Amino acid sequence: MNQDENELISRCQKGDQEALKEIYDRYHDKVYRIAYGMVRHREESLDIVQEVFIKLFRSIGNFKGKSKFYTYLYRMAVNTAIDHSRKMYRVFSSSLDEEGAPQPSEMAEKGPDRILLHKELEEKVKAALDELPPDQRAAILFREVEGLSYREMAESMGCSIGTVMSRLHYGRKKIQESLRKYVKEEGRE
Amino acid sequence: MRRIPLVLPLGLILVLLFASTALSQMNVRLRVIQASNVGRAVDPSLRDLHGQLGSLFNFTSYRLLRENDLSLYPGLPASIQARPGRFIEVTLVRQYREDAEVRIRVIREGKDILATMVRLSPGRTVLIGGPRHAEWVIIFALSPARY
Amino acid sequence: MKDSCSSVSRLLEKYFDQEATDKERSLVEDHLAGCLSCQDTLEWMGDFRDSVKTPVKMAVQKEDFERAWQNIRREIQLQEKSSWWKSIQSWLDLPRFFRKKVWVPAVAVVAIFALLTTQVFFEEASEEASYGALPDVEYVDSSYNVMVYAIEKSKITVIWLFEGQEMEAPSS
Repeated sequence: MNQDENELISRCQKGDQEALKEIYDRYHDKVYRIAYGMVRHREESLDIVQEVFIKLFRSIGNFKGKSKFYTYLYRMAVNTAIDHSRKMYRVFSSSLDEEGAPQPSEMAEKGPDRILLHKELEEKVKAALDELPPDQRAAILFREVEGLSYREMAESMGCSIGTVMSRLHYGRKKIQESLRKYVKEEGRE
Repeated sequence: MRRIPLVLPLGLILVLLFASTALSQMNVRLRVIQASNVGRAVDPSLRDLHGQLGSLFNFTSYRLLRENDLSLYPGLPASIQARPGRFIEVTLVRQYREDAEVRIRVIREGKDILATMVRLSPGRTVLIGGPRHAEWVIIFALSPARY
Repeated sequence: MKDSCSSVSRLLEKYFDQEATDKERSLVEDHLAGCLSCQDTLEWMGDFRDSVKTPVKMAVQKEDFERAWQNIRREIQLQEKSSWWKSIQSWLDLPRFFRKKVWVPAVAVVAIFALLTTQVFFEEASEEASYGALPDVEYVDSSYNVMVYAIEKSKITVIWLFEGQEMEAPSS
């Protein structure tokens, strides 16, 4: 933690809302990315961001500086997002039914080789991510979106590096299996 | 020692205030529910209310927006935001053993749309709902907290 | 090659995540030079990363975080209003007194005495209160039309607001 951030945290612990605003300006997008990655709902993600910073202001006195501040915040974000996703009942709809997505008959017309467009891959990945258990989903988000190291992920998720690697591995494996039938590589020229 | 005479009455006032509010305090559970006829999803956390909601209302979908446990002290309002610009404010007016009189205000865009005084007792739930907004309606569910 | 693939595949993720040791990296790179299958797997992992990252980053750009901050600030201020202890503390300017420790035992004795007497006082006062005759809803004041239902069997009271002629959701 740098000196400047130490000072901000100290001021925030004393109830300085301007310090909270500065922390918010630095970290709101990170918290939102985790929230959105977990719940995939814009309004709910904003609610989560708000809840995280309100909780942070109430509980920042408990932060003793033993871990990096952003891992402490990430942990709060992912726990809040998991709480939200447990409360919410979602109807999963196949992206094949969504407007604009190629329908099976259209794909057949392109020939026996199915070509997966980048946009379609995004839709499939989104659906596959939704099926993952929250801890595996969080691991994938921390690694692929936030670019955290295994150690930073372990701090953020409150587990060992071995557990982080396991969650990443099984999460990626499950998604790969979900996508297998939709993916066909273009022949190497 | 000279400071004790000044501090004693101040300390007494503080302690009396603290003691009086500590003895007269009520914990309530406030849930903010979004009801609509879009979809058939029912939030699992509303299982305890679902039967009653189903028999009372014609909605097909219920979503829990917020759930807060509030500690109410006499005369001190507790507020929560249901949606941007919409708040519910709850104030403990009077308490006798496990029964309480509670004043409720629902505020939208800075204006009171409802002010009411209700009695809360163990096992009783007060539902405040409406009016409709587009496809949905907000229902507040207030009940004494179970510990 | 197959045996080599299965032993390297475990390291491929670490390599892709830039967490491999120098020795592991060297092993993987030597293998990749001659294995199309593992090269494809690596490429898939890159595509997968982009597919996860891009929609999330695009969503961030669409949000109004300033409005979210206003909501946070408002919520904190609302919560602070009901923190009565802070109001009394600032009114009495207690921090100044807290620096002097000589009065602590005196206040402790007063506190115990006051708690004992206050409990007795409130028990007597509350016995006089009469709650039996209170209705479930004492009054309702609203700019909307209001219906009030009390369902004794399920101990529910419903207060429903509606506009004009529209008889809304309550079904019975």
